[in-house]
Amino acid sequence: MSINYVVKRVFWCILIVFGIIVFSYLILIFSPGDPAVKWAGNPRGPYASMAIEKAREELGLNDPLYLQIARFVYNVFNGNIGDSIAYKQPVLPLIYSRLQSTLELLVIAYVIAVPLGIFLGIYSALRRGSRSDSLIQAVGTILANMPTFWVATGLFLVFSMSGISLYGRINTRLALSTGFHPITGFYLLDSLIQGNLLVFIDVLLRLLPPALAVAVYPLGVLIRLTRTLMAEALLEDFVRVPVAWGVRRDIIIWRYALKASIPGVIQISGLSFAYSLIDAMVVEYTVFGREGLGNLLYDALNYSDFRLAIGLITVVAVFYLVVNTLTDIIQALVDPRVRL
Amino acid sequence: MVLAVKAVDLKIGYMDEEEKIYWAVRGVSFQVSESEIYCIVGESGCGKSTIGNAIAGILPSHAVTSGKLYIYDKKVIDNEKMDYTGIRGRVVSYIPQNPGTSLNPYETIEEQFYHVLSSVYGYDKRKSVETARRYLAMVELDPDKVLDYYPHELSGGMQQRAAISIALATGARIIVADEPTSSLDAHLRLQLIRLMRKLRDTVRLSLILITHDLVSAGRICDTIAVMYAGKIVEEGRGSLLLTEPLHPYTQMLVDAVPILGLKKPLKSIPGEPPQVGGEISWCVFRERCPVAFEKCGIHPPELYIMERKVSCWRYMNHGAR
Amino acid sequence: MNSIEANIRGAAYLVRKQFRKMRFKTGLAIVLVITILALLSPIIAPFPEEGLGYIPENAVAKARLPPNPVNIFGTDTRGRDLFSRVLFGAGSALVEILIVVLTSLSIGIIIGVSAAYFKGVVEHVLNYLIELFVSVPAIIIALALRLAIGPGLYVVILGLITTWWSWYARITYIYARSIVEMDYVVLARLSGLNSLKIIYRHVLRNTIPPVLVQAVTDMGSVLLEATSINFIGLGVPLNSPEWGVIMLEGLPVITIAPWITMFPGIFLLITALGFSLIGDSLREELDPRMRRRWRLWF
Repeated sequence: MSINYVVKRVFWCILIVFGIIVFSYLILIFSPGDPAVKWAGNPRGPYASMAIEKAREELGLNDPLYLQIARFVYNVFNGNIGDSIAYKQPVLPLIYSRLQSTLELLVIAYVIAVPLGIFLGIYSALRRGSRSDSLIQAVGTILANMPTFWVATGLFLVFSMSGISLYGRINTRLALSTGFHPITGFYLLDSLIQGNLLVFIDVLLRLLPPALAVAVYPLGVLIRLTRTLMAEALLEDFVRVPVAWGVRRDIIIWRYALKASIPGVIQISGLSFAYSLIDAMVVEYTVFGREGLGNLLYDALNYSDFRLAIGLITVVAVFYLVVNTLTDIIQALVDPRVRL
Repeated sequence: MVLAVKAVDLKIGYMDEEEKIYWAVRGVSFQVSESEIYCIVGESGCGKSTIGNAIAGILPSHAVTSGKLYIYDKKVIDNEKMDYTGIRGRVVSYIPQNPGTSLNPYETIEEQFYHVLSSVYGYDKRKSVETARRYLAMVELDPDKVLDYYPHELSGGMQQRAAISIALATGARIIVADEPTSSLDAHLRLQLIRLMRKLRDTVRLSLILITHDLVSAGRICDTIAVMYAGKIVEEGRGSLLLTEPLHPYTQMLVDAVPILGLKKPLKSIPGEPPQVGGEISWCVFRERCPVAFEKCGIHPPELYIMERKVSCWRYMNHGAR
Repeated sequence: MNSIEANIRGAAYLVRKQFRKMRFKTGLAIVLVITILALLSPIIAPFPEEGLGYIPENAVAKARLPPNPVNIFGTDTRGRDLFSRVLFGAGSALVEILIVVLTSLSIGIIIGVSAAYFKGVVEHVLNYLIELFVSVPAIIIALALRLAIGPGLYVVILGLITTWWSWYARITYIYARSIVEMDYVVLARLSGLNSLKIIYRHVLRNTIPPVLVQAVTDMGSVLLEATSINFIGLGVPLNSPEWGVIMLEGLPVITIAPWITMFPGIFLLITALGFSLIGDSLREELDPRMRRRWRLWF
């Protein structure tokens, strides 16, 4: 992997983030209504006009457009978006603190979905045309089309009916009484580091239903994708000819067909990981009451918090770009033909 | 004489998703002895590669078969049934036409040797590398410049030679080679031919060479079979077949070969080979044959003239031309 | 016969071929049923005004009733018949899908082909824009739009279009790139043929089919994305006939009236599945190798 590539890639990503920030700003400016009002969060009450004037100054609405854009982008890049209207705290640190919760959820969901999806995909590829194959693929197709929030609600329902409340991220009373305190922000890790088994189990249990809900989509996709890629690989020359040379069946399956399928699997997994962030955001707060980016999204909406929205847009965009870049890099590492 | 390969009225077709069968090989019978170099020549689409695949045991899964194919007395094809257990690699090996796509892009050459040798002989890594070095040397490849590399890091010629050396390393006594010299230069081509001859003489290797290069075939082969549209139209001893062709198609093939230094008009064979398809009861060459007559409405049987096998009505009366 | 006719005939043949496949028939049946339900909803719905969102008179008494002979799906939090709401929601769903997909497809194809055809600066600029919008999820754009403009269906639609066009543009661009390199296109350009004619005749003809198939498969995903944007409250206001919003309304009372959220979800799943099946069936046509009968042959 050349430094050249990494540099070019990072530069390109920065350029794109730049473009997204500009685009968001343009939405703010050119939509009907007074941008200052929106930036101030549609304030009401006695101090409203002050807030609006402050917002107008902040944006520099009297300056020419390119200056406004430059100022805005500069501020965002420096992490200076101002205080969230909903939370009265600086936006970006707020977002970072909530990011871990959502990430934790995503990772657990994918830890479940990826190995299971690949395994079922291989299983059905080897039995292509059989009943099990059709069954597994049908299940995969259904899973890939399930609305995540519907599954989430269903799971929540099931757990509530059985009397288990899995609302929220952690049982605060339990945490306090056992002396748990967050270190990295990833509660699973933190509880392990502190050797706090009770909290670990508590956090894990609360993670499972949302993780399962988020895992449904990638599971379905991978079941189908792995099977397709494997079945295709088994038709290739580099599988047929080694078979003619007498290579054992298990070697052919695992080191020839499967290895050929991995790059595709990695690429799609990465793509869907980015997509699942949104899934997770939609589901985690509204259904499961967890604090995370979804929580912020919800509040940004309800408090007309444009600052928070800009922060979210930027962070989510960066997340997408990082995930895509990492996916490409991992793919390149795995495929000897690609030398970056 | 021990027979390495024997085909009895072998037919091979391909089935599409609508259950229609396209016949590529319409009933061929031939024999290959031990220690013999047997060439199958013909235009593209005549079925020669299919026969090669059948012997090597890599017919695709949508292939349908009828007739019988024996490899050293083992019936590998028995009408619709196929059974290649113990054959692939151990008894029959394969040299592919396109080495670039036939080597695993995700493994080094050393690994690929190991996969083959551990599967066929149970060698461990060390023994496998030893063997690999020996066979790479046979094809004039420097092991240190090849073993640790991935296929795409080698040139086309090196890839082909690497594939050949893996094929030989199986120690199989029958090798099916599908246009093995296409990516080799003249020198390497000659080396390869010499190597094949040596193997034939030393380890009694049977080589089934599939090619459209008549000239090389004539130089190296003990027996040549000329195929057209899924049938063997003529079969006979190497160079004789080319100097004294009997079947009209063979004649046209020979005429079409440009000879260096000899000024003669470039002749091509008019018409197109028939599309791979359904059953044909008439002589497969009829449409393009310059000397077809009424009898050609039925496919001619195989006639033996001295040591030659010909499928043409013109030879009904032995010795007639 | 001219080229348009040839295209339509070719397409008709392909479509007819699909009818042999169970998958396609199932998918098509689903989509057709949903479409008919949507179109006929004013007639079929037992309580059409409630379907549109109006609150009935004895709302409190009728609220949150479980499925019963009068209300087959039960009633929602305001006493409205759920079945009627779901029926009208089908109409919303189809409108969302059609507008988003058709618009993004058109914009995407035009931009993708232009990027491939007119090299140089145009290509770089368009490519940049494509990559930019591909990297933003629709929901985030919808959030910004919502805060800037206010609630409404167009927030969802605009947000989705802004993201999806880039997806099609990218696919088209990749396909068109290889077509543009082909000899016959290069020759046509050199011989001074009118650019638009070349683009249409050669480039578009070959790039549209695979993109179209992709679009059909995507319709399910578009529906799911649109609904989730509404589920979080970013799009249409409450009480609208839209599946996502109905499910949102049912969330606070999920334990006492689960049907409110569950039933629209089932419809969502089935509709998305229908499009997915059709798309899968069409996609098989593009890849002939996978069609043959198969068994593990070694």
